[in-house]
Amino acid sequence: MNEHTGIAVALVLAGVIAGGMVWLASILGKKNPTPGKLAPFECGNEPIALPTGRLAIKFYMTAILFILFDVELVFLYPWAVLYRDLGVLGLTEMFIFLGVLLVGFVYAWDNGALEWK
Amino acid sequence: MNGATVADLGLVLPELILTGMALVLILVARRIQSTSVPVVATVLAAAAAVAASWWVLSKEPQSAFGGLITVDGYAQFFKVLVAAALALVALLSVKGLEGSGAPRSEYHVLLLLASVGMMLTVSAVDMVTFYLGLELITLCSYILVGITVDRPSSNEAAIKYFLLASFASALMLFGISITYGLTGTTSFSGVAASIAERGLADDPLQLAALALIAAGLAFKIGAVPFHSWVPDAYQGASTPVAAFLASGSKAAGLAALGRVVVIAFGPDSPALSIILVGLAALSVAVGSVLVLAQTDMKRLLAYSSIAHVGYAVMGLTAGTDAGASATMTYAFFYVFMTLGAFGVVIGLGARGATLDGYQGLASQRPGVAGVMLLFLLALTGIPLTSGFVAKFVVISSAVGAGYVVLAVLAVVCSVVSAFVYMRIAVLMYMREPESPTPARFPVTLSVAIAIAAIVTLVGGVLPRLITDWAVAP
Repeated sequence: MNEHTGIAVALVLAGVIAGGMVWLASILGKKNPTPGKLAPFECGNEPIALPTGRLAIKFYMTAILFILFDVELVFLYPWAVLYRDLGVLGLTEMFIFLGVLLVGFVYAWDNGALEWK
Repeated sequence: MNGATVADLGLVLPELILTGMALVLILVARRIQSTSVPVVATVLAAAAAVAASWWVLSKEPQSAFGGLITVDGYAQFFKVLVAAALALVALLSVKGLEGSGAPRSEYHVLLLLASVGMMLTVSAVDMVTFYLGLELITLCSYILVGITVDRPSSNEAAIKYFLLASFASALMLFGISITYGLTGTTSFSGVAASIAERGLADDPLQLAALALIAAGLAFKIGAVPFHSWVPDAYQGASTPVAAFLASGSKAAGLAALGRVVVIAFGPDSPALSIILVGLAALSVAVGSVLVLAQTDMKRLLAYSSIAHVGYAVMGLTAGTDAGASATMTYAFFYVFMTLGAFGVVIGLGARGATLDGYQGLASQRPGVAGVMLLFLLALTGIPLTSGFVAKFVVISSAVGAGYVVLAVLAVVCSVVSAFVYMRIAVLMYMREPESPTPARFPVTLSVAIAIAAIVTLVGGVLPRLITDWAVAP
């Protein structure tokens, strides 16, 4: 018995009680479905289309360009935290990194990735 | 920063040159699409990288970026080899990509970046740079295999290659993480020291890690039983891309395997010897037997490359410096002979794609048939070609290490595979032509084939020029 045993017991108990209630209700409860009962209750408006509908392929270019800048930010944050320790060398390196990313962006722009057609 | 300084940048000058050229090409990609600028730029960058790697090594071997990479004779040897393969493949691509609709500048950018990955891989002495280098190669290769978007077979090959290769990468990364967990370090020498110090050599977890890393690398070089992607990827890819995968990628993978064997997991590890002997024996046997059934030239060369990787790995089984140097020699000669053979296949166009196309070639184009014969003899391992020297050094190192059965198997398999190479020779010289005479080869292609032929011949006659230079890490 160590300090984690209590947590495990609580987890099992909670699972058994919650699952048991649902299970008992599903076998003992009376089933008399009507359209009114089956409708979503207090869940917002009636859906007008399936959520997995079709999406214009044009968005994938936007998504890829977003990742370009997203990854850039992931690297910028830790760099900014250590900015003073890294000094001029760190600043130069970050500008080189941004330059390389910018080349990719210019390539995408040049090849019409930003045109909505 | 881990001690990285501006001076370290000088040591990776070859990589910087290739990266810089790739960035320039991608900036002006749209404007140079139908010109010959990408090819010229790639060849110039490769030449500059060769010169730079020579200049860098004129100093002592040294490590850079806090021990992430090293610049020694081993790395320089493979960097020159990678740059040479890059230049030759760029020259082959002029004819090889004709009418394929592949975007020229992006294609060459990917070749350049993949070569950067190879150079990083061969100089890596840390698991992290080692993995990053291999990933850079593979990421570029996925796109290169599928770069002819209009051909369904190219897309199919790219997807197959992507699914299998990402699985192999994951396996290798898993092995690396287990090794890191056990040893607490990612540097090759640190891993070796920690294994020796804590007696981890027989630790089951360590053996699992070793097997996972070896499996990942075996996949990258296409050794049996991790070879199934090779024929499909080569056949689906356009021919110059297949040539690049067979030459540069294999050389880089072998170099990485060599470093892992010699430095990280140690030549004394019995498990590693078993794995390497198994890979070598299976690759040689399966490759040599399956090559007999092929009628498509790219598939034929793919199975031939599987067998040749087996021979190259044989050098490493010895675990000695002489063995590693034998593998280096093998990789060097193999790159040139396979590039030459792929060059002839590219030059003959649609006719070169199948075995039947070679019927009667000698009476129509004696010169082409002559160089093809040279490459076939080299692939077989006939004396006075580099192929013989290459096979001789690896087989003798295997005998020296006591693997006599493996050596006998290698000799037998080399006789078996001779059958298919000689069949092409017979078709070329002893049959009547059935198709019209092929067009003259463009100058770029002829230059590339000539360079490959010269290396193959000189390597066979004066092998010391290369073997003296192939010094293990």
